Parts: sequence; structure tokens; C-alpha cells
Amino acid sequence: MANSDRPLSPHLLAYRWGSSMRMSLIHRMSGVILSFGTVALVGWLVSIIAGHDTYSVVNYLFGSAFGLFALFGWTFCFFYHLCNGIRHMGWDVGKGFGKQRAYQNGMLGLIIAIILTGGLWVFVLVG
Amino acid sequence: MAQFALPPNSRVKKGKTYEAPADAKNVRRFEIYRYDPDSGENPRMDKYDIDLADCGPMILDAMIKIKSEIDPTLTFRRSCREGICGSCAMSIDGTNTLACTLAIEDVKGDVSIYPLPHMSVVKDLVPDMTHFYAQYASIKPWLQTRTPAPPDSERLQSKEEQELINTPSACILCACCSTSCPSYWWNSDRFLGASALLAVYRWLVDSRDDATGDRLDELDDPFRLYRCHTIMNCTYACPKDLNPAKAIAEIKKMLVERRL
Repeated sequence: MANSDRPLSPHLLAYRWGSSMRMSLIHRMSGVILSFGTVALVGWLVSIIAGHDTYSVVNYLFGSAFGLFALFGWTFCFFYHLCNGIRHMGWDVGKGFGKQRAYQNGMLGLIIAIILTGGLWVFVLVG
Repeated sequence: MAQFALPPNSRVKKGKTYEAPADAKNVRRFEIYRYDPDSGENPRMDKYDIDLADCGPMILDAMIKIKSEIDPTLTFRRSCREGICGSCAMSIDGTNTLACTLAIEDVKGDVSIYPLPHMSVVKDLVPDMTHFYAQYASIKPWLQTRTPAPPDSERLQSKEEQELINTPSACILCACCSTSCPSYWWNSDRFLGASALLAVYRWLVDSRDDATGDRLDELDDPFRLYRCHTIMNCTYACPKDLNPAKAIAEIKKMLVERRL
């Protein structure tokens, strides 16, 4: 609790960011980014209803370099949030709380998310 | 709302440097957070170069050496020097731990020492623990019974029942866990924090306690319990190797199971 007369001790920038703290931050950030992605997805669907001209503009935007970059980011966020979400479900039933175990299942989720993102984009661009 | 930056009166300035004696053999630098409430100045980081050849093995040994030989104004709490009183909890090398149980040789490079994070600083490494203790008191950390005790014996537990409370009972209330938690930094006014939740878990699983329902009612709140987002800093910080994150998850499970 803060007492305004006394200084507040350093926190965020004086603390060492361990793996679990970083994972937690990425989980939350990926959730926020995904909510923007959902709005963009809805915009793409709405543009279909709005007619051919609107749809071609929106489709062009999604196909541009920036659009592809955003889609790539969203797919990674989707897979990371999914994998780490499964980790959270494990925690909710009381599993995976050991110090080593929590580090391992975090890394496992991250690696699977990277593989799934890479696999999807290979499928999209090549397949 | 979360305040990520430190308020103006809390920003840490550069401090003095105390160099090691010329004949020192094995010098280590300690950077220590200093705040003098009488000066009205901002906190500062003082640097002390210590000859490890002439110093005990633990971080606390170096701090006591500084206080008795170099700078008697350095202020910190300490008592047992064997990890059971919890007084010397502070943030060392970026992690909350006890200065008495961390060896200097286990820290690489310069040793940075801050008070427990996001606390109101009374002086140097001494934070104001009033709120932390009030949170502990708020969970009613004592046995509550409705049923009369057996007429001819104490309230006995089986070995298995005793084992449930053995580990959480080992908490020494040093506050390393609670003050390592970003959720606690931003919401300590309403979130109970890892330590108080581990303490209430100890009573929830106590076979002799009859207030389980009341205790769970108190916790069923968006902030008191559910500000825990399983960041797990508490478990990694605990100098007694306890697992507050798991205890909190077990409490969440109890609340779900109660509804089924």
C-alpha cells in the first residue's frame, strides 16, 4: 500500500523477469492483440456484404505486406494463446505447478505455437 | 489502475561509492538502495566494494560488515540469520529472498539490493509491513470450531490430515511471495496476495476447522482471490520452497467444487 509521504520501492524495472512472468505477459498481450484481430476479421466479413468494391479494397489491404504481417502476428497470437490457455487449464485442475514443470510446460507451449504458426503459413503460402 | 512508473519522490538517484581497502584481494561490489526520511531527498543507490576474503559467506554477512565497519547508517531488519524469522526479506539480484540464506557466491557480478518491491519505504531496506500484516489478520489465521471438543482428548488428526497442513504451516510471513507479484503491485489494496492466501489455504485444509464455508465466502471475490493470474513469481521467490501458486489454485478448485 502506498503512503504518499514515503517513497515507493522499485518494482517492475528492478525485478528479474523470469520465464513464467514473461509467458504471463505474452499471454495477456496476445489476448489483447487477438481482440483487435477479431475486429479485423469481422470487418472482412462485413465487407463481403458491403459489395464487390469494398471487398476488393479490404482484400487488397489484407494481401499487402502490412496486412500479411498483421495476419502472421495474429495467427501466432492465436496459437500461443491457445497453447498457453491449455497450460492454464492444467493449472485450474491443480497440475503443473512445480518450478521445473512450470518452466517446461511453458516452453513446450511456446515451441508448439511456433511450429503451428510456421506450419499454417507454409500451408497458406506453398500448399 | 496500475502505475508502472515510480512517483517523482521515489525515483532512485546515484549515490556515494565506498571503495575497498587497497590491500583487498577478492572485491565484490554491493549496490544498495538507500533512503533517509530525515533528509527529504530522493532514494539513492550507494556502492560498497567489499573484500570477500574478509567477510562471511552470506549476503547478510556482507551487509552486517558494511554496517559495522563502513557505514553505520545502513538500515535493515535482521534477526535469526538462519531463514526462520523472515526479517531480512529483500530484493537481491532481482529476486525477493532472505539475505541470510543467499550465499554471495550464488550471485553473479555486482550484487544489487533493494527493499521488497512496490512497498512504502520507511528507511533504506525497511518497508512498511502494516498492510501486509493486516491482510494476514483479515483471513482469521486461527482455528475456528463449531463442534465441542471431545470430552476426554484433544482434537486429533490422522497422519494424512496432518500432512495436508505441514507444508503451508512452514510459511514464515517474510512477504517475499506477495511482493514479487505484479498483480499484488497493482492491486494490493484489494488483492490479498500470495502469503495471505497460502495462510488461508492452511486453515481450509485443516480437518479440525469448521469455518471452511465462511472462509470460502470471504474469498469468493473478483479481487481478494481472483486477481491471481498464475504468474507464479510467488513460487519462484519463496525462500522456504513453498508453493503459494498451487495453494491458490486449490482454493479456486474448492470454490468450483462447492458449487457442483
